[in-house]
Amino acid sequence: MAVCIAVIAKENYPLYIRSVATQNELKFHYTVHTSLDVVEEKISSVGKALGDQRELYLGLLYPTEDYKMFRKLHNSFTDVMCNPFYNPGDPIQSKAFNGVVSGMMVQTG
Amino acid sequence: MLFLMFFTGHIRDPNNQLQTVKNLRICVNAVTTNPVSSPAVLSPAQYRQLGEVVSSCQPLEGAAATSFKTGDYNLNLSVTTPWFEAYRENFLQSMPASEHEFLNHYLACLLVVSSTEAVPVEQFLKLSQEQHRIQHSGEYTHPRWFIPNTLKYYVLLHDLSEGDEQRAETVYEDMKQRYGSQGCYLLKINSRAVSAEEDEQIPDPWSQYLHKNNLRYQDPADGAPAAEKGGGASDEEGGGESSCPNNDPLQLEPDSSSTSLVDADVKKARTDTEGVAPVAVGRGSCLTLNDHDRIRQFVQEFTFRGLLPHIEKNIRQLNDQLVSRKGLSRSLFTATKKWFGGGKAPEKGMSEPKSACGLLYPPEAPELQIRKMADLCFLVQHYELAYSCYHTAKKDFLSDQALLYAAGALEMAAVSAFLQGGGARPYPAHYMDTAIQKYRDDCRNMVLAERCALLSAEILKNQGKYSEAATLLIKMTSEDSDLRSALLLEQAAHCFINMRSPMVRKFAFHMILAGHRFSKAGQRKHALRCYSQAMQVYKDRGWSLAEDHINFTIGRQSFTLGQPESAVTAFRQILNDDSKQTATQQAAFLREYLYVHKSVMGEQVKSLPQLPLPCILSAATRVYFGHEPRLAQGEKQAATHVSLDQEYDPELSAMWSRLEEQLVAAANRGIVPVGFQPTQCCLNSQTDNLRQPLAVLNEPIIVEVTFRNPLKVSLALSELSLLWRFSPHVSSLSIREPVSEQLTGEVIGNEETLTTPNLSKDDIVTTEIIQEFHLNPEETRTARLKLLPHRTGQLSIVGVTYNLSSSSSETTEEHYSMELVVRGRQDLNIQGPRLNQTKEEKMSVRHGTDRRLDAIITPPMPLMEVFFLHFPSALLCGEIRKAYVEFCNVGAVALCGLRVASTHPEFFTFGCNNPTPSSPASAEHGSAYKTFAATVQPEIPIDGGTLHPGQSIQLPLWLRGPDQEGVHEINFLFYYESTEKGLKVSHRVLRHTVFICASRSLSVQASACRSTAPPQRSADSIGCDGTLVFVDVENVNTSEGGMREFHIVQVSSSSQRWRLHKYINPDKDNDCKLSSREKAKLCFRATPCVPLPASMDSVEKYIFADLNLGNEQIISSSTPCRDFFFRCCRGLELQQEDKTSRTGSKNKTVSTPDNCTSDPAAIAKKCNELDLTIIVIWKAFVVEDSKQLILEGQLHVALQTIGKEATSLMPKEEAQEMVLLKFKSDLPPPVALPSPEMSQLIKTNLHYPETFSHGFLQDSLCMVPVTLTLSNCCSAPIEVLIDLRHRSTSAESLEFHSLFSWVGQSQYKLLLRPHEVLSLALRACFFRAGVYNLNTARVFAKPAQQSSMSESNQQAASPALIIINST
Repeated sequence: MAVCIAVIAKENYPLYIRSVATQNELKFHYTVHTSLDVVEEKISSVGKALGDQRELYLGLLYPTEDYKMFRKLHNSFTDVMCNPFYNPGDPIQSKAFNGVVSGMMVQTG
Repeated sequence: MLFLMFFTGHIRDPNNQLQTVKNLRICVNAVTTNPVSSPAVLSPAQYRQLGEVVSSCQPLEGAAATSFKTGDYNLNLSVTTPWFEAYRENFLQSMPASEHEFLNHYLACLLVVSSTEAVPVEQFLKLSQEQHRIQHSGEYTHPRWFIPNTLKYYVLLHDLSEGDEQRAETVYEDMKQRYGSQGCYLLKINSRAVSAEEDEQIPDPWSQYLHKNNLRYQDPADGAPAAEKGGGASDEEGGGESSCPNNDPLQLEPDSSSTSLVDADVKKARTDTEGVAPVAVGRGSCLTLNDHDRIRQFVQEFTFRGLLPHIEKNIRQLNDQLVSRKGLSRSLFTATKKWFGGGKAPEKGMSEPKSACGLLYPPEAPELQIRKMADLCFLVQHYELAYSCYHTAKKDFLSDQALLYAAGALEMAAVSAFLQGGGARPYPAHYMDTAIQKYRDDCRNMVLAERCALLSAEILKNQGKYSEAATLLIKMTSEDSDLRSALLLEQAAHCFINMRSPMVRKFAFHMILAGHRFSKAGQRKHALRCYSQAMQVYKDRGWSLAEDHINFTIGRQSFTLGQPESAVTAFRQILNDDSKQTATQQAAFLREYLYVHKSVMGEQVKSLPQLPLPCILSAATRVYFGHEPRLAQGEKQAATHVSLDQEYDPELSAMWSRLEEQLVAAANRGIVPVGFQPTQCCLNSQTDNLRQPLAVLNEPIIVEVTFRNPLKVSLALSELSLLWRFSPHVSSLSIREPVSEQLTGEVIGNEETLTTPNLSKDDIVTTEIIQEFHLNPEETRTARLKLLPHRTGQLSIVGVTYNLSSSSSETTEEHYSMELVVRGRQDLNIQGPRLNQTKEEKMSVRHGTDRRLDAIITPPMPLMEVFFLHFPSALLCGEIRKAYVEFCNVGAVALCGLRVASTHPEFFTFGCNNPTPSSPASAEHGSAYKTFAATVQPEIPIDGGTLHPGQSIQLPLWLRGPDQEGVHEINFLFYYESTEKGLKVSHRVLRHTVFICASRSLSVQASACRSTAPPQRSADSIGCDGTLVFVDVENVNTSEGGMREFHIVQVSSSSQRWRLHKYINPDKDNDCKLSSREKAKLCFRATPCVPLPASMDSVEKYIFADLNLGNEQIISSSTPCRDFFFRCCRGLELQQEDKTSRTGSKNKTVSTPDNCTSDPAAIAKKCNELDLTIIVIWKAFVVEDSKQLILEGQLHVALQTIGKEATSLMPKEEAQEMVLLKFKSDLPPPVALPSPEMSQLIKTNLHYPETFSHGFLQDSLCMVPVTLTLSNCCSAPIEVLIDLRHRSTSAESLEFHSLFSWVGQSQYKLLLRPHEVLSLALRACFFRAGVYNLNTARVFAKPAQQSSMSESNQQAASPALIIINST
């Protein structure tokens, strides 16, 4: 399914980043970083159009509607945030989150 | 050769409208007939040339870096990209003229003949013929001509310095006759002499136009100048200019060149055509300003008289041709409208062979005529007409499937639509896209596609459509040309950043791609620039992999570009901290870093570079002053002191400083000096480092530095040593910072000398070097580095220096890694603790100072070492052992004032070498007692009080096993001073910690009770009588090895008031032996002593009495025994005080009334007070290693009160009961006195005959006199009430008592003075014989004055039996 999943902080640094293949890791990182521009664009357009609507899902940057990824990931992310021992802004080091992400990743032998 | 000039002129369009031509540019080229390469690809030479152009055009140093802020990004970018413009210019100019368009074709031909020529007219003729031949013979494909009848312009060149002006004029007149005045020109140049030596510098007039062409000279392919400058958006003119190629076919064949140009010598600039050698010599140096004007005039003349009318004429002609051909309208506009409306393009008659790009038209095809006209219009900036022509042509071409042609027309249509401006027509962007697609996909002509894309991108950018431009540019990148891809990617990146909402990250990413392609294309500087710009986006944002990649590339590129410093910085950043790279990657990084560093080092040796690896945990740095403590020397055991191996324990250090404070106070007559600061030998992050530590001359300073290897590869450090700065003057100024001016010369450091290691400054400070220091992957390790100062002053430890190399586990890399060794340094900067006192400090992050590395070297001090001999590690409880302690002054100065303090003062004693003269022992009843004043010995007795350097002294040390079993930590603090006073260091201390394991020996329980014997019988009849003391001794030793038998050798007492008097064991076995778990009870009688002498009440005097059970007598008042007694008791007292104060503070209700005398409890207490300490001296026989050992020991039992049991084994400290928090204060406890105390106020004795015979027959009543002795045990008057009546009868005793009765006064009320003994004569009356208990009297006592107090019943004594015999 996914080859690289990242959770990015508001300040554009990665809270969590994980990708399948290690040899392409750098490329994935670059890609994720670059895609932030698209996200920013979407956010700004959404913000203008809908005001302060609490829709967190920006829509797909790429058509992957086959997989219910965002909901899963976001739920798990919320769980991480609810952890009282998690310091917002720190890199995410959660086993549960890791597990969810692993489940979403491409299964490569 | 290219020659451009700008003009503004006018032209009339076919409708006779006047059209302004602004900024017309003329390109002049030499005619070459060399064939050109296929227009579809550029030749390698062209690529090379483009590369050179790009690499030669670098951003200026510090130029035009505009800061750019978006979101949280703050970027510094150069907005202009001159290299790209240069590339574009060059690329467009290097385009060969192609068949499908006319834009690069020649419009006119200048024929130039020198006036020195013999027959210039003939030459003109020849040249003209030559031109005609080239154009029309069909032999040459290369110089393409715009129009069949090319404009010929005849120029006679006259060199004023050489030729005959008159003659030239004549020839010119002739020419005018022949060609018309508009078709020829006489150009006079070189009015100046050749005197080139003249240093009057006239700027090269051609430089402006020729600057790019030097390179092109050797390039045979540089035939035609690029004509279109459609993408003028970036130029200042805003797209208003056009340029007109126009040709100057000076014949190139050797023979003809002589005719035309021989005269134009080297310096005659304009005509120095085919690379007349010295290009470097400034051109045009023979030209005066007048000449310049003349040349300008000539070009102007040529343009306005010759060229523009020619073009105008041709446009008109073409227009007419087309109009007539179509036969539809007179006006071209209407005609074009018709064509728009679907006019067919039927002229497909010529069945042309289809090429790969579709059709090929013959030169005269009508479609091409339209195109030609369009191009002409375009050249003279008549964009409107041009657009409609292009549009028409496009339709024709498309319908003919002539793809290449169509693409060209589309491209140009778009450009003219754009240049038309003014919103007349919406810009047809799709034209461009189609054109590019056709060029690329259908015609496979990348060069044209690229051109088209460049134009399109410029237009889009000009329209603000950055995202489209970026997409277009990115689409154009391909594998075949790295340079082009790089440039286009960079432009795309710039597009992203220029968007309305800038896409910073896309910018960065494409910059990286561009940088990558640049580096592949060999454009290192550009690559480095790209990466550096991208770095601004990625830096410090947690994208560590990307950051590492960029840094690595920057490092590499900088290194190859000869900027090793920046390379080093970049590599440092990679190696900085927790990198997520793999081990191999890290190893590669490290190797690269070392390699780069080494090459940097080769260049500059001035100062050591800062190394990034390994990390130094500077806060964990510990500093130790003094020698490392020595361990055991043979059987001598050195004092443990402080060592770096110990962990810092704040509690322990508080304990030590408390001890030190005690000692200092003792040394200063009980007052702790104001500036007292506990000695700190080992400084770490938790100690108080606010003031500069004091180090002593010639004593080492050991710094423990903690290194952490963040990498997954191991590191090898070598020749690790400290860096320091030394100043002989102690100032408050820190000398850590690089030396300030006035201090220069005074501050000496070893930073410089270390680069040349043979020159060391050992005479000031000896620096120890650690040769090898290995750090495993991700390991944290400490290194201890030593300095030995040899001069007084201020010494700051600045940092560490070492050789860094990546340790190679593989042997194959041995030599390689040996090469890669870098010497460098790291500074130690220790931040103090964070300040949190004031509000500002709380609001911001501020740190205090930490001066643990700034030591002050003081003059020499004494240095004492303490050794212990025969020091046991295990003792029985109470065992006394003699050990020896040796004090040794190893310093250079004498020491004095030796003192010791300990956490367990009862544990040890130094024997008195001068025993106090023993007072004559008075042996009374087998007991010897002595009186001693309780003394404390503060100082360790040394002969003379001083210990000179090198001197040592051995003293006996008595040890007594602690009373409680278990492991005890015992701390000693030795204190000494220098004999010299007034030094910075007032005293020094030495610590020693021992662990003693105490095992159980004997348990002694003692209790005392008042003897019931009447006082008259006791031998010493002073006041109250004696007390019986029962001592229970039990062997509680449970050791399995070695049978242990304890002998109670002696029991001594020590008290202020009492003494043991007599041993009253029933069966007189003197030697009391106890083996394991056996128990014995010993009975003693204690008697009070002489009342205390009032004069001596300031000093407490203790009376020692010995009762020996064995044969030998130990004088308990002599050294070890007495000392331990004092130490133990003091300890006990202290403990009790401590306890009561603790409980008292918790429990306020325990409040005793002030006047003790009036308090009955106090009185009772006083009465029962005993305060007698029993000292049991024992010997134990132990078999250990088949040797019998005799151990001796003593146990103390302090009897406080009568009737209360005391034990030698301390009761285990009960855990402090949790006191419930109470909200209401407790009710005071009932005043009822505890009965046991109050019942002891009075002692009663009955004296009567044991048997009494009475003849009941004679007298039925038997009267027996009985004496009741009452003795007051207290020091207060007691009111006594005696009731002789029978007690409240209990059932069984009823008949017993009723048998006799007291006669006479049956109730007494008496007042007993303190310690008074009073006898009452009573009479008992018996009625028959029998055994009676006389003890029926009830005695109530209460202290006098306590009227309110209810009287308490006094103790019921044992039954007093009397036997009445009947006779």
